[in-house]
Amino acid sequence: MNYFLKRILEIIPVLLIITFIVFTLVFIAGDPVALLLPEDATTEDIAALQAALGLDDPFYVQYGRYVMNMLQGDFGTSFRYGEDAMLLVFERLPATLELAIASILVAIMIAIPLGIWSATKKNSSIDLVATGAAVLGKAMPNFWLGIMLILIFSVTYSIFPVSGRGSFAHLILPAITLGTGIAAEMTRLIRSSMLETLGQDYIRTAKSKGLRTGIVVYKHAFRNTLVPVVTIIALQTSTLIGGTLITETVFAWPGIGQLLIQAVNNRDMAIVQACVMVIAFFVIVMNLIADFLYQLLDPRIRYK
Amino acid sequence: MKRKIWMLGLLLMGLFLLGACSNDEEDGEKDKDTGETADIGGDERTLTIAVGSDMVTFDVHDHINTSTEAIHVNMFNYLVKRDNETGEILPDLAESFENIDDLTWEFKLKEGVTFHNGDELTSADVKYSLERVATGEELKDYPNYNQIKEVEILDDYRFRIITHEPEPVLLNRISRIASAILPSNYIEENGFDHFLQNPIGTGPFQFVEWVRDDRIVFEVYDDYFDGKNEEWDQLVFRVIPENSTRVSELLTGGADIAVNIPPADWDRVADHENTYLAQETSNRTLMIFLRSTEGYPTSDQRVREALDLAIDNQAIIDSLLGGAGVPTITRVAPGNFGYAEHLYDTYNYDLERAKELLAEAGFPDGFEMTLHSPRGRYLQDAEVAEMVAGMWAQIGVTANIEFMEWSNFVELRNANENEDAYLLGLGNSMFDAANALDWYSADRFEGETDYRNDEVEELLAAAMTNMDLEERNEQYIKAQELLAEDAAHIVLHMESINIGVSEELDYTPTMDEMIYVDTITRK
Repeated sequence: MNYFLKRILEIIPVLLIITFIVFTLVFIAGDPVALLLPEDATTEDIAALQAALGLDDPFYVQYGRYVMNMLQGDFGTSFRYGEDAMLLVFERLPATLELAIASILVAIMIAIPLGIWSATKKNSSIDLVATGAAVLGKAMPNFWLGIMLILIFSVTYSIFPVSGRGSFAHLILPAITLGTGIAAEMTRLIRSSMLETLGQDYIRTAKSKGLRTGIVVYKHAFRNTLVPVVTIIALQTSTLIGGTLITETVFAWPGIGQLLIQAVNNRDMAIVQACVMVIAFFVIVMNLIADFLYQLLDPRIRYK
Repeated sequence: MKRKIWMLGLLLMGLFLLGACSNDEEDGEKDKDTGETADIGGDERTLTIAVGSDMVTFDVHDHINTSTEAIHVNMFNYLVKRDNETGEILPDLAESFENIDDLTWEFKLKEGVTFHNGDELTSADVKYSLERVATGEELKDYPNYNQIKEVEILDDYRFRIITHEPEPVLLNRISRIASAILPSNYIEENGFDHFLQNPIGTGPFQFVEWVRDDRIVFEVYDDYFDGKNEEWDQLVFRVIPENSTRVSELLTGGADIAVNIPPADWDRVADHENTYLAQETSNRTLMIFLRSTEGYPTSDQRVREALDLAIDNQAIIDSLLGGAGVPTITRVAPGNFGYAEHLYDTYNYDLERAKELLAEAGFPDGFEMTLHSPRGRYLQDAEVAEMVAGMWAQIGVTANIEFMEWSNFVELRNANENEDAYLLGLGNSMFDAANALDWYSADRFEGETDYRNDEVEELLAAAMTNMDLEERNEQYIKAQELLAEDAAHIVLHMESINIGVSEELDYTPTMDEMIYVDTITRK
């Protein structure tokens, strides 16, 4: 247990380092005031707003102020919206989580049967089709796939709504868009992991005992491929929290991705920081959960 | 082992349910506040408008965002409104208004106007609203209102606006972004943060809910002073940033109106049986600013004129903008105060003359220059810059185009590091020549463009505070003629507003880019 406590405590310095990196990058990228005022703002207008927002202070003063406020639970106010940045991020979190989890479920539903199938029927036509589909799934860019799905299933056949968030039907196209890319990667991983397992001695023993192929594959082989699968699910889920930017924009999905893109475009420091903090937090926590699950799945793994 | 796989499955299910539950909770809370949820695009008495970016805030004084104001105009009112066709100022919340002396305007409010909570509109609300933006230095629209010194209340319905300097443009100033009249009692009692979460105004529609980056919902206000809107019960603005998705929503009926249709999708919208493309000239001008600083070739009037003559403005409009756009020599378009009719909807193009002028100026073989341009900020901006450079090549001028990300572009100009020329699109929500021509002011652009024309300076200074409107109009027309002769900067064209509309609706966009839902009707 001490191991996990240590890991949890490590989150604090990691997040602090991340704030410094992000703050520096946004600071270097440019002055937000240029984007807040119209084309015809005068130099005086710009200077006045910079002073009002405290943006005329040197870097270390601005960063110091940010960290002090953060330690008191104040993650700053959005320049653009004039509201508490962390609240804005939390408002979007359910939408992003919903999409991320649905995408992972889509990926699991595709990848597990497909991966097992192509491993057990190695080099057959099924394996060839599955491998081809995996390569294709990985090669298709999300924005293209999203737009194509909209054109086919919404514009031409009116089966699903075009965009937005609301009902279960709204979730399907974006989840497929994100899910197929992950499924492609997962299928290949499951296939190779299964192949390795199927070549093990104990599988041969099980087969020679006269057990049915189904039992050998699902009971003896599949459970042993789960460790790499859990790793990839954990990694992909954490990536999805911050990596749904393009899909969220294509489907007008009101999640963190859209918020972050706009915040970066507007140099909205507080929101960028808050988004990155939340995303980083998820990445760390998901890794922790994955480590925890390893223990559960494979009794040989023990953390000290 | 079986138990562990089950646990993994349960964990995943739990995570999924967690996501779904938090969503339900959020919606549930909205239900409590508003009593209803939004039905997107379903009901035929619901008007759904797809917009490209989310509203910024309900703080009417703290944004300079045209698309935000386009939504606000349906729930707030100004004291006066500007007729988009004629430019005439008409009463809105104010019943009448008159100019008392150079610094004083007197207004009388309509009686019986109510805010959405039932409070009656009085002079105190006007004083609160205008003085907040006129004195709040941290507010983004402060530079456009600090000309107002104070609002003096005479009685509940009568008040005076007193300005620091004579303000011939005051009525235009208070009929645009940040001119909305806010409920002072409601804000004082509940605080401004409460107002931001639960905004009320005097307009035809009242606020229901705002799900950020998703939708803003309004419902009709029964007691609207100008008569309840009988066409629509509910109004939904849906935020759809991706152009092709916005167009798809329009084509499938998920939206009744979609704004900012990009040129690539114009045919798709116009040719579809359920939709049509409504276009109108906007008040945004695309221009190329030239440096008149000594040492630059463009400091010579003949070179500037040659660069202008080498550009075929209509060819740009036809090939890049599908014919939508108006070529012009001045920024001051119809509907603006100071409009110079003979300089609008026309352009100068003469390649031979351009070559002659260059030779006279000492550049018979042309020269090399730099053109800075933003990319993706205005309609086809990068393509326009490339086409202009191609046209200049015909007279021997090599323009190296440097495309820049917007904030870096602004910083470059602020630091006066711009070179021979830069491309810029300028809107003018004031609809007055003073704003349009301020870009030729020598003091303001010292170090950036360094253009100076003393005669123009005098005319602009005199017109700025001239309360004799007829004379003021002439001063601006004269200034525009002088600037055209001098080829101070190159004016390319007025951009078009491009809106996709359902075939079932009647809608004509307006030059100010606002979306007045009162003008949208079913056929």
